[in-house]
Amino acid sequence: MSGLVERLRGIVGADACLVRPEELLVYECDGLTLHRAQPTAVVLPRARDQVCRVVRACREFGVPFVPRGAGTGLSGGAVAQRGGVVIECSRMDRIIGLYPMDRYAVVEPGVVNAELSKAAAPHGLFYAPDPSSQLVCTIGGNVAENAGGPHTLKYGTTTQHVLGLELVLPDAEVVQLGSRSGFGSGYDLVGAVVGSEGTLGIVTQVTVRLEPIPERVETLLAIFPDVVSACRAVGGVIEAGLVPAALEIVDQRTIAAVEASVYAAGLPLDAGAVLLVEVDGPECALPAQVLRIREIAAASGASRVEVARDAAERQRFWRARKGAFGAMGRLAPDLYVHDAVVPRARLPEVLASILAIGDRHGLRLSNVFHAGDGNLHPNISFDRRDPDELARVLAAGSEILEVCVAAGGVITGEHGIGSEKRDFMGLVFGEADLDAMKRLRASFDPDGVCNPEKIFPSTRFCAESNPKARGYERVPFEP
Amino acid sequence: MIPLPALRALREALGPGCVREDEGTRVDGEPLAPTLRPADAEALAGALRALGRLSLACVIQGGGSRLELGNPPRGASLLLSTASLTGVDAFDASEGVCHARAGTPLAAIEALVEPGGWQLPLDPPGRSSTLGGALAAAAFGPRAQGFGRPRDCVLGLEVALADGSRTRCGGRVVKNVTGYDLNKLYTGSLGTLGVIEGAWLRLRPRPARVALLEIAPDRLAVACDGALAAARRPSARAASLHAAQKRTGERPFTVVVELAGDEASVERDAAWCESELGATPAPASALERVRERQGSTPGGGGLRFRIAGLPSQSQAMLTSLWDSGAELLAHPGLGLVYAGFALPGPEDPAAVDAAFRCTAGAAAAGGGGLVLESAPAWAKRGRDVFGDLAGALPLARELKRRFDPAGLLNPGRFAGYL
Repeated sequence: MSGLVERLRGIVGADACLVRPEELLVYECDGLTLHRAQPTAVVLPRARDQVCRVVRACREFGVPFVPRGAGTGLSGGAVAQRGGVVIECSRMDRIIGLYPMDRYAVVEPGVVNAELSKAAAPHGLFYAPDPSSQLVCTIGGNVAENAGGPHTLKYGTTTQHVLGLELVLPDAEVVQLGSRSGFGSGYDLVGAVVGSEGTLGIVTQVTVRLEPIPERVETLLAIFPDVVSACRAVGGVIEAGLVPAALEIVDQRTIAAVEASVYAAGLPLDAGAVLLVEVDGPECALPAQVLRIREIAAASGASRVEVARDAAERQRFWRARKGAFGAMGRLAPDLYVHDAVVPRARLPEVLASILAIGDRHGLRLSNVFHAGDGNLHPNISFDRRDPDELARVLAAGSEILEVCVAAGGVITGEHGIGSEKRDFMGLVFGEADLDAMKRLRASFDPDGVCNPEKIFPSTRFCAESNPKARGYERVPFEP
Repeated sequence: MIPLPALRALREALGPGCVREDEGTRVDGEPLAPTLRPADAEALAGALRALGRLSLACVIQGGGSRLELGNPPRGASLLLSTASLTGVDAFDASEGVCHARAGTPLAAIEALVEPGGWQLPLDPPGRSSTLGGALAAAAFGPRAQGFGRPRDCVLGLEVALADGSRTRCGGRVVKNVTGYDLNKLYTGSLGTLGVIEGAWLRLRPRPARVALLEIAPDRLAVACDGALAAARRPSARAASLHAAQKRTGERPFTVVVELAGDEASVERDAAWCESELGATPAPASALERVRERQGSTPGGGGLRFRIAGLPSQSQAMLTSLWDSGAELLAHPGLGLVYAGFALPGPEDPAAVDAAFRCTAGAAAAGGGGLVLESAPAWAKRGRDVFGDLAGALPLARELKRRFDPAGLLNPGRFAGYL
């Protein structure tokens, strides 16, 4: 591989080519610490041309390559499972153009999510998708994962906000996809690439839609005796035809962890669940919405409903939600952040099942979730050095996914499949469904060299994938 | 038209209920018969397998309201209709999602979900539009300003592939990154990668209040600025401009604005439109007329182009087209302009060339691309009606080759003659 390293150094410069084991350590995993693999090398290109040349070099030397943003992903998507070269795009971080009249921006993949909103703010605009890691995660990574966040209920996920892409294909050719208007001709290849977890090519430029900053935001915090009544309030809000920007629930165990941490938000420790509701929009529209939400919360059993009086209080409310991961992380060396989605009406029963699964396995499991989307995040604090506990964590994770799928849900809402859940794809999709996805994969990457070992079940599990998944009979292929 | 032995084989394999020998149609002048009308999704997959065995290619039809969209079919001999796959099988009013089969008319879905407090975020022209057809064509109407693109409401799809395999993608939940987002690939692919059997849709809350307004400025620039400003109001669901070339008794420029949402927002935006733009209440039929115009051509047999550019360039696009004598409809907030050209007589290629030249000029001015949505078959010859896919063409070809290697589904009709 020394020939390859020499080539890579020649392309990106010695300072942007990492090969020493201690330098590669950080690239062994992403936010999912359980799946680890060391790449042969990491390159940090500064321009598209360098990406093309790196890809060409990888092809010549027959090694796979893996795109990476800030490495905050939670499904092992940015890990070089089969070795090879990690192409980290964080140094391609220019905002190439910002067009307030037409509300869009053209950016390089390494632009940090929150930085884009900051740059757009003077024009009265912002970039809507806001994953929890938005202070560090990059737009390129967001595109790969179709990142969501607490405000997707109203604004949608990344895919609704990407108009165009520049992509370096696995054969090192460059292709421009989409259009600035969002109404281009031909197959919607932008839609196919967003959320493809870096398996179809390497994004080197993104055209994103920007949204007008809402005139006003109101944040409510409602305290409930239990999670079932909090879920009832969520259902009530949706049924009333309201579309809040966020509808988030924090369960009792998370409240306890948050209040014992630096993120303490002054929540009552005897609360069964906390519901955070954020509405935004025209100034004139919000008082009626706030009133309606207060009524619905009260009718659903809330013991207290507070409306943030100022920005500081709004931040305190959000601390209860956003501090959850940090607070849970205090409890043990490792934190497994799960991600699954169920139809909203099934939330109470699914939550009860999840807590029971955690208890049965003797695990520290708590829930914070995007209730409006039915997007659950069961968190398990654990110590991966304890093989027995690790085995219980994995067993519980698998049972949780089964419960969610049985309730009509899916196995990931925003973290992606990556290497983490590839062997659970058979829970949701049958062979014919996966085969259709493989046709897309092969159209872009016929040799399977771009981020291999992701999304599709490993061979061992492939044969076990359920042909009757989602109730379909196996359909024989007739040539 | 297909040879008699093939017809017999189809009849034998699919039954006379599915093979309608007395039903046929012409698409871009090509006679297509019989019509296959499978009764359910399993029969649809069976029909595709039979077509594969007999090497027969088909044109796919939903409600038939958009058959004129596309390049002339290449080698298709019969019609495959999804019209019998009807019904809304699930509607969850607490969640705002529903599942309908491909042949269900959009109107039937609307009628079912609206009493439950929801609206279907699809309003393409064409009263007979079916769900499958609308999604396959990614068809939208003036309310796209508020609804967004058709792809945005698709949560999951069931699709029969050309080899007869029945597949699913997405799901019924509103947030989902489980596997590739094939919903996006199939939506707008004009049936060339597979035939949509049914779809899970995300509905939108029915607004508490709707207001319809109109403006009748005397200059195109004022009309365009007005429509764009109205489109930027938070409650704007539609803001469209119509420009008719000097017909007697008709005002040359009309802007129709639909506001929808909560009481307070709609009231405030309506007051703003009245004071700033001189808007007045419009008759309830005003938006339907916009929709009809978006889907029609001058004189019924002319050309209709769709030009997609940047909103800020709408005026430049409109101005350059206006001088060429085109009839115009625009959604300036979306950067979309529809230009209609009457054709003087039979087969006048020079008139078509001239229309292409000036729409291409407008598209260049608008920073976008164009699609010839409707035209007589002869006028489509020698040009891809979807414009040039440029660098994306090799990928598109590869997709078509892998999803439909024998070219059975709408062959030749899509962008890049795929």
